[in-house]
Amino acid sequence: MSDDRHHVYDDIVEHDNKLPLWWQITLYGAILFGLVYWFGRRMEAIQSPAQAYSAEVAAQRAADAERARARGTIDDAMLATLSKDPALVARGKETFVTTCAPCHRPDGGGNIGPNLTDAYWLHGAKPTDLYRDVSEGIVAKGMPTWGPMLGDVKVQEVVAYVMVIENTNVAGGKAPQGELAVK
Amino acid sequence: MTALITADSSLPSGAIASATETRRIVYNDWISRWFVWASLVFGVVGMLVGVVVALQLAFWQANVPPLLTFGRLRPLHTNAAIFAFVGNMMFAGIYYSTQRLVKARLASDLLSKIHFWGWQLIIVAAAVTLPLGYTTGKEYAELEWPIDIAITLIWVVFAINFFWTLARRVEKHLYVAIWFYIATIITVAVLHIVNSFEIPVSGLKSYSIYGGAQDALVQWWYGHNAVAFFLTTPILGIMYYYLPKAAGRPVYSYRLSVIHFWSLIFVYIWAGPHHLLNTALPDWAQTLGMVFSVALWAPSWGGMLNGLLTLKGAWSQVRTDPILKFFAAAVTFYGMSTFEGPLLSIKPVNGLAHYTDWIIGHVHAGTLGWNGLMAAGMFYWMVPRLYGRELHSKKLADAHFWLATFGILLYVVAMWVSGITQGLMWRAVDETGALKYPNFVETVNAIRPMYWMRFTGGLMYLVGVLMMAYNLVATARAGKAVDGEARVVVPKVEPVESTWIEVLFGKPVLLITVVAVIAATMAVVNNEASIVFAGMAVTAAVLGTIAISLATQNAQVQWHRLLEGRALIFTVFVAIAVLAGGIAELIPTLLITPAQVNASAESKPYRPLELEGRDVYIREGCYTCHSQMIRTFTFEAKRYGEPSTMGESVYDHPFQWGSKRTGPDLAREGSKYPNLWHWRHMIDPRSVSAGSIMPPFPGLVTDTVDASRTADKMRALRSVGVPYAAAEIQGAAADEAEQGKAIVDNLRADGVPDANPQSELVALIAYLQHLGVHPSPAPGGAAVSLAK
Repeated sequence: MSDDRHHVYDDIVEHDNKLPLWWQITLYGAILFGLVYWFGRRMEAIQSPAQAYSAEVAAQRAADAERARARGTIDDAMLATLSKDPALVARGKETFVTTCAPCHRPDGGGNIGPNLTDAYWLHGAKPTDLYRDVSEGIVAKGMPTWGPMLGDVKVQEVVAYVMVIENTNVAGGKAPQGELAVK
Repeated sequence: MTALITADSSLPSGAIASATETRRIVYNDWISRWFVWASLVFGVVGMLVGVVVALQLAFWQANVPPLLTFGRLRPLHTNAAIFAFVGNMMFAGIYYSTQRLVKARLASDLLSKIHFWGWQLIIVAAAVTLPLGYTTGKEYAELEWPIDIAITLIWVVFAINFFWTLARRVEKHLYVAIWFYIATIITVAVLHIVNSFEIPVSGLKSYSIYGGAQDALVQWWYGHNAVAFFLTTPILGIMYYYLPKAAGRPVYSYRLSVIHFWSLIFVYIWAGPHHLLNTALPDWAQTLGMVFSVALWAPSWGGMLNGLLTLKGAWSQVRTDPILKFFAAAVTFYGMSTFEGPLLSIKPVNGLAHYTDWIIGHVHAGTLGWNGLMAAGMFYWMVPRLYGRELHSKKLADAHFWLATFGILLYVVAMWVSGITQGLMWRAVDETGALKYPNFVETVNAIRPMYWMRFTGGLMYLVGVLMMAYNLVATARAGKAVDGEARVVVPKVEPVESTWIEVLFGKPVLLITVVAVIAATMAVVNNEASIVFAGMAVTAAVLGTIAISLATQNAQVQWHRLLEGRALIFTVFVAIAVLAGGIAELIPTLLITPAQVNASAESKPYRPLELEGRDVYIREGCYTCHSQMIRTFTFEAKRYGEPSTMGESVYDHPFQWGSKRTGPDLAREGSKYPNLWHWRHMIDPRSVSAGSIMPPFPGLVTDTVDASRTADKMRALRSVGVPYAAAEIQGAAADEAEQGKAIVDNLRADGVPDANPQSELVALIAYLQHLGVHPSPAPGGAAVSLAK
């Protein structure tokens, strides 16, 4: 029992083999990594998640601005033109059915949200009003802000689709709300 | 130098025998038998509930509201699997091996009985209260305050029984298994007590005394280390006894044991914040969590190496002996998940994996693979010895092994695929910067086949456990209970090996103390240096222990060997090692004041009805599927809104940041949808969200909130720092009625004629509409779209 290399407990013999080198490298390497990482943060060579986020936001804002410039201003005439493009409207319908249907019904007849197939509007009837409502949402009424989620292109497509179904008065739609739009 | 031990009657030569006496010990093995059966019974129950909740995710119709929904059963599954199955298994294994390793019968039969029955009562209490919705809302610590107190008392009974046995030991030096048991007992006590500080409101309702980010950090310091000190260290101790016993092979390396033990228990404690990466937690704490998790890799693998290398030369036995198969596979799974853990703790990797099923897969590789297979190996080895008969069927045990292993692989692969798929879908953006999958449900539908695969894997595993239960029961019935015996030779006069001063002020202690003091001073003088402090301290600790192991080269007895002869000093050192990380992380975080995080501008205490709604949210376990923490990623900001801040959850007792997104994040759910949407969604989620897998909660329409208790709740919250004015508390009932009426009026205008303003659903809507809405200048501006 005096030999420390051969401890015995309840017949279990305990050897004292050397530590594997690769294991030691892993052990000290990980500690070294921790210190290097810490110094990297202090020197600002490594960003914190919040810093990385800010940088990414700035880059995306710039990209958005660039895209907006390329696209030109959104106005009623431009959206009206889009609504004449059947392929684009079809894509808008696809987004509408997956994203807007839970509240406005798949055919736009309204459910939790208002009927979009009549001629009455709560927040303005102009195409740019629709664009604003989809993009920014109507927070007080529980209409979500879809712009960041869908992106500008899909918002335009959805608006084009809604312009197409306006005043088609689908069967069983929700009663009109808001003001009658005279067009 | 110490007592001579022989397990049989072959006594050593006469010269020694004259100075010694021979003592016969009968071990207390009935306590291990009891714990084995309790573990099996609750293991089957816990895993059955696991299979049920897995089914509920694949097939939402399997939810049976109000009692048997995912949100209420999931805590039952985790508590049963961890504290009932592994807990009882651990007690069986610790009691059996400790007596034999220290050559002393368990100190007290009475304490053993109290320990056993107390623990089973706690489990039964958990099994009753959790489905009934009594929960603190903190993961793996859901049990309410009276049960928390009971756990503390029973744990103390366990500790007394264990340390008292150590005090009566004949074998002077403590074997590595005992070190791990000591670390388990000390640390679990600390974790449980600190995390469970809560302010009672009534017999089965309390609020955490910590709020927001502070509660998050305390909770994950606890949660992570529950994994470490309930599921890892005791099982490592068990491995160190049962694996070499079953293999009949020597343990590979003592010095590896020394180094990986101390580095493991010291480093583990710091790693908790890796559960909160990329959140509103301060970056220094996140960084600590990450670097210490990476540093945990080698200490964990030290245990794996000592296990696998002990099997070196026994691999032919592994092919034929099911027990060794279980141990070899368990240790391999341990190695796999302790490699995966550090990987998942790297901030960008965590960005992909967090909130997804990858984490669920990771946890189950550990629990099913490491804990479950270790338990099986131990039971198959132990039960024949406890009943004096060969195992009923080796073939059946073999079949169990293969079933379990394939079950785990199915489970884990399903979760990897599911987690990575969903993680990638959440972050996918198209060339215009828009989310590719703006509908959360799309990302759920994509992984539903994986939920079936996971269910299948889990079911296979459960069948394996049932086979084991049958096999063990058959073994026990064919044999009869036997208690182990040993004859030990005890010196009449205990030779003095060292003085306590030599041990307490040994060179390694002095070295570590000096470095730790320097590091701590740096951290206090310049608190940005806290990471340096951490890094230095860990390096010091590890280098110190390395130095100890090198001292083995000398002819003289090395310091650590002396320490092993001193149970009390050993325990004190363990306590210091595990407290260091907790103190360094928790104290600075708990000192953060609401003013420092701009609380008044970013959040507002809940109005009475919102508070009641929040309690419904907690009761239903919504946090098991919904996070309230938007991380610092642009793809999250696009989906959920600006990243969450510390100030926004400062009044949340307990915090509800969550850890899993089976459904979307709710941190900014307030005013996103109209009240009517929520009303319908709770009654029938699929009516507004086609393809949703959320359980329906129709009972909330008729169940009502008891407004008479709200004031008590507000008083309790005020005592832990939520700034409620006395007038607000007095007017609680009136305010509840007012806010309820406003929501009901709004619902009526939208076509729900008969909503009850006192219903739990209206309260829940009030709560949800509050989330993420910053206080407006107008009083009472809880931003609910009340007026049409």
